[in-house]
Amino acid sequence: MSTFDMVAVGVVLAGAFVFIAGLIAILVTAQRRPYGTELAPIKGSPSRGVLWAFTLGLAPWAKESARIHWLAYIRGAIFHIAIFVGAAYLIATPWLAQIPEPLRLVLAVLFGIGALLGLAGFWIRLADPIMRFLSTPDDYFALALTTLFLASAAISAYTIEYLPAFWIISGITLAYAPFGKLRHFIYFFYVRVFLGLTFGRRSVLE
Amino acid sequence: MTSTAVTEQNKMDLAREMLAKLVDRRVLAALEVCVRCGICTESCHYYRSNPKLEHTPYYRAEQVRRVYRQFLDPVGRAFPGWFGAKATADEALSKLAETAFASCTLCHRCTFECPFGVETAEIMRVMRSVATATGYGPEMLIEIAGAAIAKEENADLFREIFLEQVKELEKEVQDSLGSSKAKIPVDQKGARFLYVPLAGAHTIIPQAIIFNVAKESWTLSMFDTANYAVFLGDAEKAKRIAMRIIKEAEALKAQEMIITECGHGYTAMRWEAPKWFGRPLPFRVRNIIEVLDEYIRDGKLQLNPSTNGEPVTYHDSCNLGRKGGLLEEPRRVIKAVVGDFREMTPNRLHSYCCGAGSGLVTAPEWTDIRLEAGKLKSDQIRQTGAKIVVTSCDNCRFQIGELSEHYGLNTEVTSISELTAKALV
Ligand code: SF4
Ligand code: SF4
Repeated sequence: MSTFDMVAVGVVLAGAFVFIAGLIAILVTAQRRPYGTELAPIKGSPSRGVLWAFTLGLAPWAKESARIHWLAYIRGAIFHIAIFVGAAYLIATPWLAQIPEPLRLVLAVLFGIGALLGLAGFWIRLADPIMRFLSTPDDYFALALTTLFLASAAISAYTIEYLPAFWIISGITLAYAPFGKLRHFIYFFYVRVFLGLTFGRRSVLE
Repeated sequence: MTSTAVTEQNKMDLAREMLAKLVDRRVLAALEVCVRCGICTESCHYYRSNPKLEHTPYYRAEQVRRVYRQFLDPVGRAFPGWFGAKATADEALSKLAETAFASCTLCHRCTFECPFGVETAEIMRVMRSVATATGYGPEMLIEIAGAAIAKEENADLFREIFLEQVKELEKEVQDSLGSSKAKIPVDQKGARFLYVPLAGAHTIIPQAIIFNVAKESWTLSMFDTANYAVFLGDAEKAKRIAMRIIKEAEALKAQEMIITECGHGYTAMRWEAPKWFGRPLPFRVRNIIEVLDEYIRDGKLQLNPSTNGEPVTYHDSCNLGRKGGLLEEPRRVIKAVVGDFREMTPNRLHSYCCGAGSGLVTAPEWTDIRLEAGKLKSDQIRQTGAKIVVTSCDNCRFQIGELSEHYGLNTEVTSISELTAKALV
């Protein structure tokens, strides 16, 4: 292992540590907040509501907004899928050499598309005057980090020698995630569960 | 420090304190999850009627989010420029209050159009509470909520007037049914229903006719179901207003509380009140529409839909439908009592707000805002070709009546109870 490799491993492990510590802090903070437990008698089904929230409730064809912003919606969906697969890929990288080459190529294509869609995100954000007005430096930085993460994932899946570079970028991304906009991925699950529980209970989603 | 500065500081402290108290897990998640992607932009009726930055759901929520970052998020406070945290001043607070009260009807439509499900309405509800606590609550809403509390404090005085009014209304019910046996019972202990109307004979006479025909065991509440403190986000007052009727139902040992066609009144009592009081209510809460639906299903009413022969469309009140879960019941009743029912598009979960929800209808200074925001609804109504718009909320009813005049729709607005009473054979 070269010095650079060792530094890369150090960075990714440190990033993972900050990420896990940050994640725990976020979860503890969120759990400490009160939650107004529903006490009214049930009309619908909270569990079916939660199921809806993670399935049909996300379906683009059920949303007028997705029809209007179909490009942004598809971009967002693929971009996020690529990031989630990228996270799983990061965990699997110590065994990258054992991953069959065709699969690595498929992953490289997915991450490459994800990275291109990340770049498209800049264009969307800058082209729309309202989005430009409401965007913060954090929005751009988070987008840049995730785009780099996907680009380096694509390169490392294609050429294994670039794995240390991917680890370094992953480490930085992981370390930043709990502090800025990237932490929205944790709250996504909260929001969907609350939505399903509240409106499922009221039989709004049937 | 000058005294104005001190007051301003106190207000800021109070705002911070309120925000810290009211941002529960659900609101926290809504504040944190938005990625400012803009996909929700067109989902708001304000934006569709007048497309501008301030009318996008995420602009509104973002204004509160920035204050939250400054007050409650340590990372935001440490790097305000980077994360868009914003120190707020008195002027900003008053602007936020205006946004929360006049520029969002808390209709929840954008939530179901957002890929994440951001509850902008919940964020704005919290903002309303903060604004009310810091002295920026709209005068009119405060007065109406205060009047509801005063009614309980002076119950004996009101009772005399109330009983006289009920006598008059009872005569009308008897005339309409051609029977002197028809009654509007008051203070009937052990009645199955306590029926809670609104201030207005149209929420008593048709329902009394129907209850008499169905031979229902019921009694009329002395109070009305409106709870304007809910719109203010004033939890203490909202509890007091709700408690008047809860105590009445408990004293009369009613098995059920039946709320009239009032969107927020129903949602507040059916879904929110148990949370406020930390216990389930000791009686069942239903809306009059659910009762009508049950009567029709059980064959308790003989109906002739051709009495209501003109084309009819239904406006889903956001509180009753999207937030209350009554989406199919009104449709079943309407189909049983009218000859020509036409749906608006979109409807149910995706229905547009009429533009006057959550108290907008009360303040004269908001008339132009709500009429403009209601343009989309008026277009929807026009497209159906309906001559009658039926809705199950008095706020919506008032607004749609005004929209009809303002946009020359030439439609009549009525309630489901009125249509049902008219269709009785
Ligand atoms: S509320 Fe939802 S749709 Fe709107 S900008 Fe935020 S994340 Fe995007
Ligand atoms: S809750 Fe309704 S009024 Fe408020 S921003 Fe969303 S769509 Fe607009």
